[in-house]
Amino acid sequence: MTGKYFGQPVLRLEDKHLLTGRAKFCDDIVIPGMLHAAFLRSDYAHAIIKNIDVTEARKHPGVVAVYTAEDMGDYWKIGPLQVPPPFAIKDAQFNARPLPPIAKDKVRFSGEPIAIVIAESRYIAEDACEDIIFDAEPLPAVIDLEKAWEDTSVLVHDDLPSNMAALVKQEAGDYEAAKKQADVVVSKRFVADHVAGAAMENRGFVVNWDERTQEMTVWAGTQAPLPLRSAIAGRMGLVENQVRVITPYIGGGFGPKVMTSQADDVLLPWISMKLNRPIKWIEDRRENFLATTSERDQVHHCEMALKKDGTILGFKDVFYHNTGAYDPYGMTVPLNTQTHTVSNYRVPNFYTEIRMVFTNEMVVTPVRGAGRSEGVFVMERMMDLAAKELKMDPVEIRLKNLLKKEEFPLNTGVIGQDFVVGVLDSGDYKNNLEKCIQMVDYEKFRKEIQPKARKEGKHLGIGVVAFTEGTAVGPYEGARVTVGNNGKVSVSTGYSTQGQGHFTVFAQIVAEQLNVKVEDVRVITGDTGHFHWGAGTFASRGATIAGSAIHAAAVLVREKIFATAAKFLEVPEDQVDLCEGSACVKGHPEKFISLGDLAGKANPMRGAVEADVKPGLEATAYYAPPHGATGSGACAMIVDVDPETFKVKIERFVLVHDCGTVINPLLLEGQIQGGVSMGIGNAFYEKMVYDENGQLMTASFMDYLMPQATDMPRKMEIGHNVHPSPLNTLGLKGVGEAGALPPSPAFCQAVEDALYEYELDLTESNLNPSMLYEFRNKAIKR
Amino acid sequence: MNVEGEYIFNGPQQAVYDMFNDPNALATAVPGMQKMVQVDETHYEGAIFLRIGPISAAFEGVLSLSDINPPESCTLNIEGKGKAGFAKGVGRVKFTDLGNNQTKLNYSGEVNIGGTLASVGQRMIDSVAKSMIKSGCEKLQKTLEERCQQK
Repeated sequence: MTGKYFGQPVLRLEDKHLLTGRAKFCDDIVIPGMLHAAFLRSDYAHAIIKNIDVTEARKHPGVVAVYTAEDMGDYWKIGPLQVPPPFAIKDAQFNARPLPPIAKDKVRFSGEPIAIVIAESRYIAEDACEDIIFDAEPLPAVIDLEKAWEDTSVLVHDDLPSNMAALVKQEAGDYEAAKKQADVVVSKRFVADHVAGAAMENRGFVVNWDERTQEMTVWAGTQAPLPLRSAIAGRMGLVENQVRVITPYIGGGFGPKVMTSQADDVLLPWISMKLNRPIKWIEDRRENFLATTSERDQVHHCEMALKKDGTILGFKDVFYHNTGAYDPYGMTVPLNTQTHTVSNYRVPNFYTEIRMVFTNEMVVTPVRGAGRSEGVFVMERMMDLAAKELKMDPVEIRLKNLLKKEEFPLNTGVIGQDFVVGVLDSGDYKNNLEKCIQMVDYEKFRKEIQPKARKEGKHLGIGVVAFTEGTAVGPYEGARVTVGNNGKVSVSTGYSTQGQGHFTVFAQIVAEQLNVKVEDVRVITGDTGHFHWGAGTFASRGATIAGSAIHAAAVLVREKIFATAAKFLEVPEDQVDLCEGSACVKGHPEKFISLGDLAGKANPMRGAVEADVKPGLEATAYYAPPHGATGSGACAMIVDVDPETFKVKIERFVLVHDCGTVINPLLLEGQIQGGVSMGIGNAFYEKMVYDENGQLMTASFMDYLMPQATDMPRKMEIGHNVHPSPLNTLGLKGVGEAGALPPSPAFCQAVEDALYEYELDLTESNLNPSMLYEFRNKAIKR
Repeated sequence: MNVEGEYIFNGPQQAVYDMFNDPNALATAVPGMQKMVQVDETHYEGAIFLRIGPISAAFEGVLSLSDINPPESCTLNIEGKGKAGFAKGVGRVKFTDLGNNQTKLNYSGEVNIGGTLASVGQRMIDSVAKSMIKSGCEKLQKTLEERCQQK
């Protein structure tokens, strides 16, 4: 459905601000009289707080105030939960332990805030933190997920009988019966390791309470401006319109910025009101590593039952999911994992069980991939294991089981993060893989390239995997589209943006409907003063959910333009046409009224108008899907492994993707490339490591290895399949996380194939050269 | 973190052992050590300024001796805390008379670190600890020679 603007590779409108340094970020906000905050954080992972002596810190010149939990009185409250428990799932058990704003009595992870200093400058605030004497009695730390589950474990929350944060089982069909029918059953334990969101810009929060207007303005690097606004208003006892949250430009979200109950969110508005001064806090990198949120970290015990021709009869997965010290974000991540193990292939019988555990580690909430990565990883590795067992080609076994076009829509029987039973809406998963192996020329690689390379002593390997990406979940988003008196169009949505290109794609959607230039559409995202309904940026839902709402509003404005123009042009509505920037009479472009003038006419300042008047060329609309839309794809990777140093070079990278209708092919490619670099980072570079005492050993970029441009394949070959989603008018599905999902399993399969002299068995998602060396040493030589 | 190693002193076993139990000797030997005060028979209080990669910070702590078996062995327990984190460790030291006026020191121990020391300093702390032990032993050797000459 490519049009004049929609579907075109329009260059990003926001880039002229971003690339010339004119964009305004949180740290650019300066308010006269502004104070600065710094947090003192616990060095201990698990300890009983004995005493926090802030006497000296309060005397420090330049310090305005110091607060601990004790100083907060009744304002100190735990929580609330940001995401409700999944009680839509039968017999789901969930122990809610949301975040305390600041530690009281006990600290549960290294980096947990224990005091906040407010001072004339950040330097002073940081120095004064060092004057605080923190006396605590250390306790053993709970780190190992499987051991944490046992009754004998040390408890993270003493008031609970165990470290169980949740237990959720979902079953469809009858796995045990299917297992009895099977010719072969394979099983394996997998580890999906811990990674950081690692956005280029860390969190930031600037708050100003205006005593005279009784209004609070907050500038925050948040993915969830409206939930943050409502949370602050609720805590402060204000009505929503007394709090305005503005998200300026944000240097990347990647998940952790969806939090609205962290120490800064809770404490800074209260302190600003108390001191009647503006306050700024900009998170530093170490704080971000230690104490924002991170993700992955699961241990899976998988089992798959198959017929000898490779047909899947059933799949079982019991997995441990680390939620960290608290569980403020409910079960979004492990539910996504559960969904994504069984949403790609025909799996008639399955049993999945989530064992969510508390540990003395930072809190786990979604990071791009958000549980899907782990689901895709274990399922794809199990397919490889089954292929090896059945002596089948990894591509052949996948083609046999992948869902085909005619099987959609398909009810999966698994309740997902949106608390409704998943329905795979559309696609052709099998064809994604067929297209992918064609692009990478799988046959040629197997028959010519690889044998030749092996003769030359080179270790080339190929990995081919498939994936789905559950996207665009509810509840809803909304938007208002308004034609201004200058003929330019403004769009406001509660959705917030962190670099995705929303200013461009949302403008394209509107420009197409109203026949105005894309650059004449001004998009405002994430400012609660402009639009005050919405849920936030997560689950790859921007283009689909907010985009559909924007489309609906633009259609309404278009209708209003036709109705209003018909009156002024004195022709029937069906004789009105849209010329660029104006409404004209069909076939008579010289008879027109500009959209700006029409907007003025639609808002008369004197005279009588109809009783049910809706002034201006403006409309507001909402979009709410019944369930998420599922994107899909396949990925092939050819690697060259040095068997001495275990350096791995990605020679080719092919990804075929289906996100339904494409709004902007250029931005789509950018989204996929960004996702892939994160996926490759997860596969072979990034890894958060806690020691047995709960100390994070990777709290800086010296130890947490981010992939660089030079680590990426020289070219990403991207193919598109377009199966529009039936769930929305435009046929959209999300794509934000797609690229991050397949690299790890494709990488493992390719490396195993490359090191063909050994029966390599890669069971971890986050590898590095020394781990490959260890795995190779454990492997049997063929 | 585990530390393990040995060092050969040119001096008799008893003299080496005595030196290890002398807070003044230790205080001058350990790089960055700012004070070391004996509190009782087996406890010392000390302050040290450490530089580990990007971290430079003062630590205060207690050193205590146990399993005292002169002149052959003892166990050192340290517990320190500072603005850049904390450390807690146990080290076992053994002195073997090699004859020929030589004494071999064997040490082994483990140290748990936390805070910035762990999250930023851990990659450097191994080599810093090794170099501190090495230069400490070299300094002690000099002290030992001086003491032996004085006798």
